[in-house]
Amino acid sequence: MKTCQVSVQLETLKKVFGENVALDIDTFTINSGDVLGLVGNNGAGKTTLFRLILDLLKPNTGHVTIKTEDAEYITSNCEDWKTFTGAHIDSGFLIDYLTPDEYFSFIGKVNNISKEEIEEQLKRYEDFMSGEVCGQNKLIRNLSAGNQQKVGIIAALLNHPSLLILDEPFNFLDPSSQIAMKYLLEDYNKQTGATILVSSHNLTHTLDICTRVALLEHGHIIKDYNKDDSDMIAEIEQYFEGNVHHETIATEA
Amino acid sequence: MDFKRFRLIFKLISQNKKLSEKRHPMFERNRFMKFFAYGMVAFMACYLIFFGVLFANAFADGSKEACDMLNQGIIIFLILDFFFRFGMQETPAQEVKPYKVMPIPTNTLMHIFLIKRGWNWYNVFFFFFFVPFGIMTIATTPYFGVWGFVGYLLGIWLLFVFNAYWYLFWRTLINHHIVYVLLPILIYVALIFFGMFTDEWLFEGSMKFMRGFIEWNPICFLSVLAAIIIMYYVNLWLQKKLIYAEIAKVEKVKKVKSSEMSFLNRYGVIGEYLKLEIKSIARNNVVRKIFISGVIITLLFCSVTAFTPAYDGGFMRIFICIYCFAVYGIMTLTNIMGVEGNYIDGLMSRKESVLSLLKAKFYFYCFMLLIPTLFMIAPVATGKYTIYELLGCLFFTPGCIFPFLFILAIFNNTTMNLTQKIQQRTTNSKAQFFVSLGAMLIPMVVMYVLVMLLGSVWGGVVMMVLGLIGVVLHHVWLKTIYKQFMIRRYENMSSFRATRNA
Repeated sequence: MKTCQVSVQLETLKKVFGENVALDIDTFTINSGDVLGLVGNNGAGKTTLFRLILDLLKPNTGHVTIKTEDAEYITSNCEDWKTFTGAHIDSGFLIDYLTPDEYFSFIGKVNNISKEEIEEQLKRYEDFMSGEVCGQNKLIRNLSAGNQQKVGIIAALLNHPSLLILDEPFNFLDPSSQIAMKYLLEDYNKQTGATILVSSHNLTHTLDICTRVALLEHGHIIKDYNKDDSDMIAEIEQYFEGNVHHETIATEA
Repeated sequence: MDFKRFRLIFKLISQNKKLSEKRHPMFERNRFMKFFAYGMVAFMACYLIFFGVLFANAFADGSKEACDMLNQGIIIFLILDFFFRFGMQETPAQEVKPYKVMPIPTNTLMHIFLIKRGWNWYNVFFFFFFVPFGIMTIATTPYFGVWGFVGYLLGIWLLFVFNAYWYLFWRTLINHHIVYVLLPILIYVALIFFGMFTDEWLFEGSMKFMRGFIEWNPICFLSVLAAIIIMYYVNLWLQKKLIYAEIAKVEKVKKVKSSEMSFLNRYGVIGEYLKLEIKSIARNNVVRKIFISGVIITLLFCSVTAFTPAYDGGFMRIFICIYCFAVYGIMTLTNIMGVEGNYIDGLMSRKESVLSLLKAKFYFYCFMLLIPTLFMIAPVATGKYTIYELLGCLFFTPGCIFPFLFILAIFNNTTMNLTQKIQQRTTNSKAQFFVSLGAMLIPMVVMYVLVMLLGSVWGGVVMMVLGLIGVVLHHVWLKTIYKQFMIRRYENMSSFRATRNA
């Protein structure tokens, strides 16, 4: 089942908090079908970028354009792009006084998805949920952080989004769930051709699943790699190694 | 631990406590609320001064000394103080948590937190009452004089310190079992009940005891001091006993009964948001408490109006009619979007979900108007109101008052903590204050003028027509509110995020 072709264009996008420049990107295009991994240390601007794309923050300058085969949407000017976008950033996306089953049903209904289809989809994620999410009759707020994360990710996938945005999807997940998550994203991209944006501190998983990796530092994209770039892994590892001052740490220790 | 170190830790913890109060998220986000809170404290202080002077004058011509008259009922002040403290203090076992892993003995921490309970400005707040009262009835009389006044204040202070420890004891107990709520109620009811029948025992006794302070009777001071010390050590023992239970406290995860509410499915997306509204009330402590108190207040006013002549007068009659219909909306809709602040990002990442949510809320609150309508049938039957006035209020509330309250969806931007046990409404703002005041006063004036000018039949009819226009146009004004909400969305979302879990 293919989804529509979606690309994302960032233009002179800048976000400043007080005096701190959280994000400053001149132009950047995420092509249709890309699995883009955003990597960078804390404060690099990954979450800010996702929030700006999703129109959850107001940029100081610039805008985000989402393009499909038929139309172009500037995200801050309309809401039509939300119908083919799925996202999970943090617990602010979850209605935590519902059970996961109720939440999925809610998401399904507001997206005009039939009950049967929701059930069918949930079956597909059974392995990922490992029997701890659905049918537990627990409120989302009473689930562990890992299971809450799973609820958010599955909810983002329920409407078959053409554009999927996940912030730190591997966080809180146990090793098996992380691997399941990796396969899930790879399969989803292969089956649907959806554009996927993922940020993560887990370099191994990010490099495994992404067709493209953008390295962020202090709000700037300092490097944009394609999976085919032979020196990608070495350079990224070298970058993060370079940020650790072994000698200072050793001396302090 | 030597005294120097004890004093240092005491100072550090006091500083932290001051900072936590100063940087309370409610005040940080909302300067109006800060001034409003200070204003309320100043108002309460003035209120107490006023009553202090009033009581001094009122008791001046009695058969007993004015201070003796008041001192007979000192227990009332202690009961009031006890209940005013409710919801204001954490227990030391809770406060000690962040310091538990630090190299400070638990015993020292407990002493510090307990001393701070006694040495607290709150324990002299009632001086706003007792100082003017004491000046007029003790200090200025030749028999007692200034020295008697000082002894009186010192005695009062000791009693309030004792009250602080007694309150703390009870508060710690109810943290562990709700049944202890009954403890002060039983004690106070028993005291007052026996006091009624045995004047000597309670009222005369407390008068003599308080006279002891004025006359500097050492037995009186020593007995209160002894009671304070006993209560202090009882608290110390209890806090130490419960500290590990408090630290290891894990909320029991309740299994919930999942309900499909399939009768709402026919309303599509709006039906889903209606389900959300109902589940929000059923599953969130704070929302449920507001709902229950709103319904109880509505029922109370409706019953009083229906079955007693208490509000038969002209303006009061109008006030109660409007109040019965509008109070639930005012209590809950002033916090509109506060619950949704918890998942605002999820809502905003779905197309027009906030508009659907607002519509669902409007239908829900319209449905809730059935409660006052049913109850108001009785006063209509007894001729207190005409059926036109009833219908007037029934339509005027959703058509004219609700739009006013729904405007707050544009301005409210503080997330409501859904899991806290005590209702601590953190979303008061200037807009909320004026809108809820306006939502109450303007309709009253409108109804009063209409009924005065046109009579209760045509006045009711005009209100009904005005209300119907608002109801029919609800799609239009809700859409307008939604558009305004979208204009302010970035500012609101940022504030909702900042106040989440605050």
